[in-house]
Amino acid sequence: MKAERLVSLSDPEAPFGRISLVEQIPFGKKLALDRYRLENGLQILTLIDRSAPVVAYHTWFRVGSRHEKPGKTGLAHLLEHLMFVEFEGLSAGTFDAKMEELGADNNASTWLDFTQYQEAFPKAHLATVVKLEATRMAKLVLEHDLVESEKEVVMNERRYRVDDDVEGRLEEALWASAFQHHTYHHPTIGWMPDIQAFSAADCADFYRTYYAPNNASVVIVGDFDPAKALGLISRTYGHIPPSEIPLEDVEPEPAQTAARRSELELPTTTEKFALGFKGPALGDSDHVVCGILAEIVAGSRSSRLFRTLISERGIAAEVRTSVGPHRDPSLLEFFVSMRQGQRADAGLDLVLAEIERLKAQPVSRAEIERAVARSELGLLGSLETADGKAGTIGFYECLSGQPGDAFSRLAAMRRVEPSDVLRVARRYLRLEASTLVVGRPKVELPHDSSEAAS
Amino acid sequence: MNTQVSTRLWALDDALPLLHASVALGAGGSATDPEGREGMTRLLLRLMRRTAGGRTAQVSDELLDGLGSSLSGEVGRSVAALHGTVIARNISPFLAFLADALARPAFDAEELGRLRAEALAELDELLDDDGALVRRAFEQRFYRGHSGSRPGSGTRTSLGAITIEDMRRHHERLLRRGSLTFAFAGSGAEADLDRFASDLDTSLPGQGEGWSRPAFPELSPAKGRVLHFVDKPERTQTQIMIGCLAAHPRDDDHAALHVAHTIFGGTFGARLSQEVRAKRGWSYGAYSALPIDRFRQPMTLWTFPKAEDAAPCIRLVLDLFEALVDRGVSQREVTLAKKYLKNSHVFSIDTPAKRVSLALDAEMLGLPRNHHEEFLERMLAVDKPAVDAAVRRRLSAENLLITVVGTHKDIGSGLEQAIPRLTTSEVVAFDQVI
Repeated sequence: MKAERLVSLSDPEAPFGRISLVEQIPFGKKLALDRYRLENGLQILTLIDRSAPVVAYHTWFRVGSRHEKPGKTGLAHLLEHLMFVEFEGLSAGTFDAKMEELGADNNASTWLDFTQYQEAFPKAHLATVVKLEATRMAKLVLEHDLVESEKEVVMNERRYRVDDDVEGRLEEALWASAFQHHTYHHPTIGWMPDIQAFSAADCADFYRTYYAPNNASVVIVGDFDPAKALGLISRTYGHIPPSEIPLEDVEPEPAQTAARRSELELPTTTEKFALGFKGPALGDSDHVVCGILAEIVAGSRSSRLFRTLISERGIAAEVRTSVGPHRDPSLLEFFVSMRQGQRADAGLDLVLAEIERLKAQPVSRAEIERAVARSELGLLGSLETADGKAGTIGFYECLSGQPGDAFSRLAAMRRVEPSDVLRVARRYLRLEASTLVVGRPKVELPHDSSEAAS
Repeated sequence: MNTQVSTRLWALDDALPLLHASVALGAGGSATDPEGREGMTRLLLRLMRRTAGGRTAQVSDELLDGLGSSLSGEVGRSVAALHGTVIARNISPFLAFLADALARPAFDAEELGRLRAEALAELDELLDDDGALVRRAFEQRFYRGHSGSRPGSGTRTSLGAITIEDMRRHHERLLRRGSLTFAFAGSGAEADLDRFASDLDTSLPGQGEGWSRPAFPELSPAKGRVLHFVDKPERTQTQIMIGCLAAHPRDDDHAALHVAHTIFGGTFGARLSQEVRAKRGWSYGAYSALPIDRFRQPMTLWTFPKAEDAAPCIRLVLDLFEALVDRGVSQREVTLAKKYLKNSHVFSIDTPAKRVSLALDAEMLGLPRNHHEEFLERMLAVDKPAVDAAVRRRLSAENLLITVVGTHKDIGSGLEQAIPRLTTSEVVAFDQVI
């Protein structure tokens, strides 16, 4: 019966308009996602959520800065900017103007492994948004002057996020040093000379190659009629042909066998450092355990390094850890910003001592339970809006192909034992596989501010 | 003086097993911190969280984390609040902790010492953030001579002067019976939450003594066009904030002024973003803001071009603003702005937490509880003449504060030349802003 209904939803005039139901996927205890596939390969994930009269519509493309070549870094991100500008039948600026008229909250982001576009809007406007997004997937116009102007915007974004931002510069230097073969080496925003050199033809090539229905998933969450939505998608996307997605040509990062250390002089008043260890990929079961480890070490005020560096010793202003949520093995990262007059080396010694402790003694169950509770709070917080749910679904769909992974990861966290944390600490927190970037102040202060801080 | 029982606001809904709880302190925010003790309310909220019921900071932190909860203080100019979120299965112990934090903090001098050192370190961190720096510098200069200039995060000098006795007295002043407003959103039983609020309220001192909402004098901002340059070395980019005195939520033309702000810089498609970013590529962002408080606030324009483009960019923004004041808006712009405001309003109320937050906001600013719904209706009712009249009446292109974070030796004189009718030019070292 369901199959017959799907056939009736398909657009017989569209060469790729046939829709098929692929699977139902649990999303938490109460909800379930439906996965459909259009004949051109477009994946469609739907989740009904009638808690507010709104719909979130996200399009996730499985292309990011990992797919860029040397000399062409930042292309995925520049293209994301251009995807708001001009399309066949929609002159420059019209796309955004239409979205604003609908009251839509729209945005986009690019990272190492993906590029995503998102809208949240009042439920009455689903048909308009579907048409606009289908147009965006197939009918981008790349005119020289507009590309040049948007390059200026991106260069300004780079100045804002990296060149004039102390942490941005440390972070960029850390990844560039830690990854010397893999494309995770270069920043998603790209190197400045590469951004300057892009042509409209570069963007067009990238668009034609990667922006295709068989390289994308559409996620729809909110108060909508799924039959109508699927019918719309069949009619609007069913004419877009699939593309031959090139074989991915990413070189795995060889095992790191010697510690790397570099220093930067930065326009800051305090010393800082970023320390990265080669960590697991998102899909690796160790990733969940490393996430727990990161929470225990510096995830909150009750964490070990927060207590040591900030509360007890009072030598740091900020400390945090993270495990890169990426498709390929990533970094388990420590970032510390010292207080005025405190040396980075003093903070580093304490971080390394804590790492040795993690490798020598199991963490307590109470620490694991707190880390899990915080993660659960974070997950629930991300699911409060339709937009948040769509983002969570789209992220895991794009990264792991499992759109309900947020919940399976939470379940996996609950199974983590102290011995698991001990094992991943020994496996990943190896000094010979670490990269350190220290930032030293270059600024001459007009007065001795360290005196006031002491 | 005010002696009524505490106010409760609700938006309960079991869609997610999560409760948001806010407790707002009606007796004041950063603008009521005593002179020379700026940052005191913020320190107090943090001390309350860390020493709830006589606990140590470590015990408090571990307890909150273990409950799957968060609790933090927020200090505005005229109001302060503790905001918490907890997984629904742990509501009871979380509320018990919250009551301890509010009514029974320990005034521990050692913990205050740690807090002070952390707060000073945060000020140093702020020096790395040019966006935060331009905002702080703008606000200090704009509100100069008014209590609104007192920074919620304090200053090096003021943080050093605050004692544990100051904390104790400040707590006594802010936590009075009937002075709190409770707001709950999400999953929870109304009767339990009401009992929590009542019990907490009656445990506070002040029966019959009353308390006062803060009152503020009107602002008298500087006259003319003032260039306030925050000099920071090695900037490849500038941060620019321009503003003039503008809005009070009780103005009869406030809705019309909000429509004008939407047209000028409230969205990506607005004039500022289109002219600065889309057409010229001069900045990643260009927006205006029209905040409200218990006293009149500025309309601000914010953008961040590269250093070489700072002079033409400021000139362009000033020309655009002058055109807004002199020539007003078009009918088409008004129609589109109203469509945007009407359709996007749902995103202000699409979760219980957002709904209760709007009601709390109105309550604390002394506005009707349904202010935001009424305000939408009023905005949808305005026409072009009303928008033009509000712009002419409330905004001034001649009395403007122009704060810039950049490297003065590279661009300072260029900026002075780029600003027509500049009346005053000042330079301050970036580390003097804190």
